[in-house]
Amino acid sequence: MITFEQVTKRYGERLALDSVSWHMDEGECVVIHGSNGSGKTSILRLITHEVRPSSGSITVGTFRGGRLSRAQRALLRRTLGVVYEDFRLLPDRTVFENVALAVRIMGRVTNEEVVPRVLYALQEVGLQQKQTAFPSELAAGEKQRAAIARAIVNRPAVVLADEPTGALEKRTAADVLALLQKIHREGSALLIVTTNPEVAEKMNSRVLRLDDGRLIGDTGPNGAPAESA
Amino acid sequence: MMQGFFLKEAVRSFRHHRGLATTAIISLTSALVLSGMFLLVAHNAGLALHTVGDRREMVVYLNDSVSPDQVEALSRQFESSYGIVSYVSKDQAWTEFSEEIEDPALLEAVEGNPLPASLRIKLKPELLTATAMEEAAKHIAEIPEVEDVVYGGEWVRRLDELTRNLQWAAIVAGVLIGLAVVFMMYNTIRLSVLARRLQVEIMSRLGATDGFIVTPFVFEAIFEAGVAAIAALALVFGIQQGISAQVVPVAFLPWTWALGFLAANLMLAWLAASLALNRVLRAIGA
Repeated sequence: MITFEQVTKRYGERLALDSVSWHMDEGECVVIHGSNGSGKTSILRLITHEVRPSSGSITVGTFRGGRLSRAQRALLRRTLGVVYEDFRLLPDRTVFENVALAVRIMGRVTNEEVVPRVLYALQEVGLQQKQTAFPSELAAGEKQRAAIARAIVNRPAVVLADEPTGALEKRTAADVLALLQKIHREGSALLIVTTNPEVAEKMNSRVLRLDDGRLIGDTGPNGAPAESA
Repeated sequence: MMQGFFLKEAVRSFRHHRGLATTAIISLTSALVLSGMFLLVAHNAGLALHTVGDRREMVVYLNDSVSPDQVEALSRQFESSYGIVSYVSKDQAWTEFSEEIEDPALLEAVEGNPLPASLRIKLKPELLTATAMEEAAKHIAEIPEVEDVVYGGEWVRRLDELTRNLQWAAIVAGVLIGLAVVFMMYNTIRLSVLARRLQVEIMSRLGATDGFIVTPFVFEAIFEAGVAAIAALALVFGIQQGISAQVVPVAFLPWTWALGFLAANLMLAWLAASLALNRVLRAIGA
């Protein structure tokens, strides 16, 4: 599903990732935990090909290599569902329209195809009552649910969540994590990146620990070394 | 199907960013009025030069001994080679001269009619240059029946020089104004795009192709440029009407020029929007 082989990433003089190797299987749930500046977000940006590795090789599904054309990058991103800490919802569109945009981006789809898919995704995250609301009318937890609906509406093979509870209060954060667990149980692979050790604990899944750009730990749900490490 | 979606997206974006869109239209209109005024000046300068050039003629003075048959033969020869010929007899020449002088005392001092008969040639368009006229005058002067050939050689040379200089000035000014308009259009549209950078970034992260992201912006830019071009043409028309009524009669742009102006602006808007989007997409790592 996702494989990093000896991946190093430098931003000018700064070393963000230092020869990192790891692999994630289809349907697996992985939490990448580390402090700020440990290289977590670089991993996500490398997976989505927002940046290219300085050295090493990355495979995401059938996309292999460090240099993809813009068209290939677009195709790669359609196989992923991404959830951001700051939600990244378009403020001039309703919840329904924000989710529908992800469907339309997939290509030739009719309105008849878009509507049921969006409604199903909104039902999955419990936001069907808020489909006509604009992001500014939603609470933080609802915004994140809308962002999750947008991430899962095309049934991606893997959902990437970048600090999904970072902007949420404790109780709402727990609800969002429960929702992500539900999505994982339904078959999607899930990769969560977080600075919060409680997230890793609550997800009860494999945890990769990053420190200063180096992978310093890879443990299974029970804390034992992971099999695929 | 997708075109309809892109059009809706463009309308949504235009409505949501009304202030920015209005500012863009006003900025573009100002720049386009400048280029429209340049076209108006160039067109009217061209018309004026054409009118002056049309008046260029050659006067062939004939010997007094030339018979009517010879005049007829020469007229036919000149007609086929140089242009429209009109014959002015000695008597007609004297009448014209008398009307111009308007002083009977002076006219009475002249004994007889010393003026020669002449053939006036309104030259063909291809002969309206100093070189061609000089060449034609040389040939005509070699004909035995011809006394003299007059065509205002120095004046024609100056007119040709003026036309050439004006053409160069028009090309240089046109290129400079064109570049200024392209630069302004590019920056205006780039500002609109930058204001919606978040939208572009989100679409890119969701896996939208360049075409999917760019098309609504291009539609919007073309619409804004179209409105600005029409507004600029209307303003230039108003200015032309004002000048015609208050100062000197000037002609408005021919409809082919106006259509070309509109089409060129739509093309430039398409180009500017594509370039601006391409830069933003590269900047966000799309």
